[in-house]
Amino acid sequence: MGPTKLIVSRNHRLPRNFDWRHVAYADFQRQHFELEAVVNSVWARLAREQCQQLHDAGLEILERTGARLFNEEALALVRKAGAKISDGNRVRFPARLVEQALSTVPKSVTLYDRNGRPAMRLEGANTYFGPGSDCLNIVDHRTGERRRPVLQDVVEAIRVCDALNDISFVMSMFMPVDVRQDITDRYQLEVILHNTTKPIVFVTYETSGCVDAVAMAEAVAGGVDTLREKPFLACYINVTTGLLHNADALEKLLFLAGKGLPALYIPVVSGGTTGPVTMAGCLALSNAGVLVGLVISQLKREGTPIIIPGFGGDALDMRTMVDPYCGPDPRGMPEALAHFYQLPMFTLGGASDSKLVDQQAGIEAALDMLVDAVCGGHLVHDCGYLESGLSGSLAQLAICNEVAGWIRHACQPVEISAETLALDLIDQVGPDGQFLKLPHTRRHMRERWYPTLFERDTYSGWLAKSGKSLGERAAEQVSQILATHHCEPLSPAVAEAIHRIVQHAEAMPGGESLASSSGGPNA
Amino acid sequence: MHEEQFNAMRQSIIDGAPGQASELASKALELGIAPLEAINKGFVPGLNHIGEQFNHGEAFLPDLVMAGEAMTAAVSALEPEMQKRGIQREILGKVVLGTVKGDIHEIGKTLVSTLLTASGFQVFDLGVDVPIERFAEKARELQADIVGVSALLTTTMQGQKSVVESLDRHGLRPRVKVIVGGAPVTRDWAEKIGADGYGEDAMSAVAIARSLLHK
Repeated sequence: MGPTKLIVSRNHRLPRNFDWRHVAYADFQRQHFELEAVVNSVWARLAREQCQQLHDAGLEILERTGARLFNEEALALVRKAGAKISDGNRVRFPARLVEQALSTVPKSVTLYDRNGRPAMRLEGANTYFGPGSDCLNIVDHRTGERRRPVLQDVVEAIRVCDALNDISFVMSMFMPVDVRQDITDRYQLEVILHNTTKPIVFVTYETSGCVDAVAMAEAVAGGVDTLREKPFLACYINVTTGLLHNADALEKLLFLAGKGLPALYIPVVSGGTTGPVTMAGCLALSNAGVLVGLVISQLKREGTPIIIPGFGGDALDMRTMVDPYCGPDPRGMPEALAHFYQLPMFTLGGASDSKLVDQQAGIEAALDMLVDAVCGGHLVHDCGYLESGLSGSLAQLAICNEVAGWIRHACQPVEISAETLALDLIDQVGPDGQFLKLPHTRRHMRERWYPTLFERDTYSGWLAKSGKSLGERAAEQVSQILATHHCEPLSPAVAEAIHRIVQHAEAMPGGESLASSSGGPNA
Repeated sequence: MHEEQFNAMRQSIIDGAPGQASELASKALELGIAPLEAINKGFVPGLNHIGEQFNHGEAFLPDLVMAGEAMTAAVSALEPEMQKRGIQREILGKVVLGTVKGDIHEIGKTLVSTLLTASGFQVFDLGVDVPIERFAEKARELQADIVGVSALLTTTMQGQKSVVESLDRHGLRPRVKVIVGGAPVTRDWAEKIGADGYGEDAMSAVAIARSLLHK
């Protein structure tokens, strides 16, 4: 069966009064929302019937095999809803619970920026790129050295993300070693909030960290309701496997559902070890886990926003036992499944298995990002990752930004109108004239993509500038940004409020949260 | 003598076929082949072959795992006869293995366990989320040679240090060697906490375990 073309965009028309000149000069952060329709149709690797088969497989797994839930509240919710529980925590879900959840979970999630302006609409064919979180190593753009990251590296990563036009959201990028290890998540989020206005995907160790993160975000937004109405961050929750739902994952999911805040619920199934080595079996198993998350979130609070994975079906490399980040095999499958559900998705692109910023890194990042954009991935994370997620590089991130701009221009909708066809001009100029001096040319020439890193100069022009490679130029761009770019600051009162939350976590011996001391995560 | 038989035994390991390996082991005894000869001339060459293939990137991990399973099946079929004759197959060493308290990451540790077993170590896998003291208790009970501690989080890495200290307190070191592993673990960290060995992946764990015991 061949691939089918599936048109899913609902919102790719630009406003009637849209001024293209604006695009070239615009503050892209602000303009992004109007330019959200990066691609206007989606390539579906799976046919609709194949998606239905995968969905049915998920239902069968949940009814026949069941999943273990390591959280009492989640067990109580599913028991009350009619699921069968055996062996303490092994839950078999009737299909109707899943179908019910799918009917109430929102089909679209909008993430706002720090100032409450809409920044990303996760739906249809809209694609946005961002970095990953918590790399254990940094490949320093200044020296090329691979070393342990410190908090200042997180600060720099976020400032670079804030400056790069085609990086639309941020994640922590690095796991700093120079702060208290059980509360690194608080330090990371504090510096993220200070250094960007872009939407945030955050990760925490325990539920207490998640509670603190939400408290910090509420302080920035100016209240609980403001944050719920205009969320500018979402929590990335990793789940042990499709059928093992760890206590922390469920606690965080229930806490966020209670608040009505978006969660990314991502079970991890590794083909050949924690799941079948075949892509269909592996994806069916992780999808069963996704459906568990949907059911529990909707039982807790109908209509709570959930972002599902648009990656999965990967396997360990059976020769090295490394978990590869850009194998080609399952690409497009989970994205097609998420579009089948018409749900917002979190996907993976811009990462490389290479150990340094080299040809492999550039090729893998570009292939991955393009395929993901064409398949309609929404929130594409891990730009700038090297070494299969163990290292991160800001130079690589800058290269990903360049690729993202290229992709945006290669995929965005095309305007065919009197103005763009320019038939009158063609007639006026006739066969013997030229277009160089026409106002029409100057009016539209900046609509095309121009590189900030890729080299198009003549040979002597390139030599005169530096004669440097892409990796070297990318490192220079990062240094340039760090020397000149500054994010608009938080108000002193907000800065103080979020710092108090960090200090409170510091004061607790176990790194417990401010909020948990007054009622617990689900209070 | 028995060349054909040895070849079939070798092949059953390469094919990763426990049932076949077990049958061939029993048949070898019927043919009057001594148990150690069956192991050393028949089955071990198969294991060595698949190990080499793995190092060249030709065999995949599951090939290696199943070769190990076939080897175990062959040896257990020969076990009663070996006991009768009062001989033992040499074990390279006893290893107690686990993922430290607070950490539920399993795969890396299980790979190490599988490869150590396939290489001739006797492994006692304590599983995941293992309390600190449990490592020392089990090591003492089994008179283990090596304790392996896995940690996949920067927070639970501290537990590796606690296990080293616990083994010290129980007076088990330096006789019992400690090896550590996991994504955030580095050679520097291993040295800092006084561990005896560190490996970046499961294959290097086998090499380190061998060298620590001079095998």
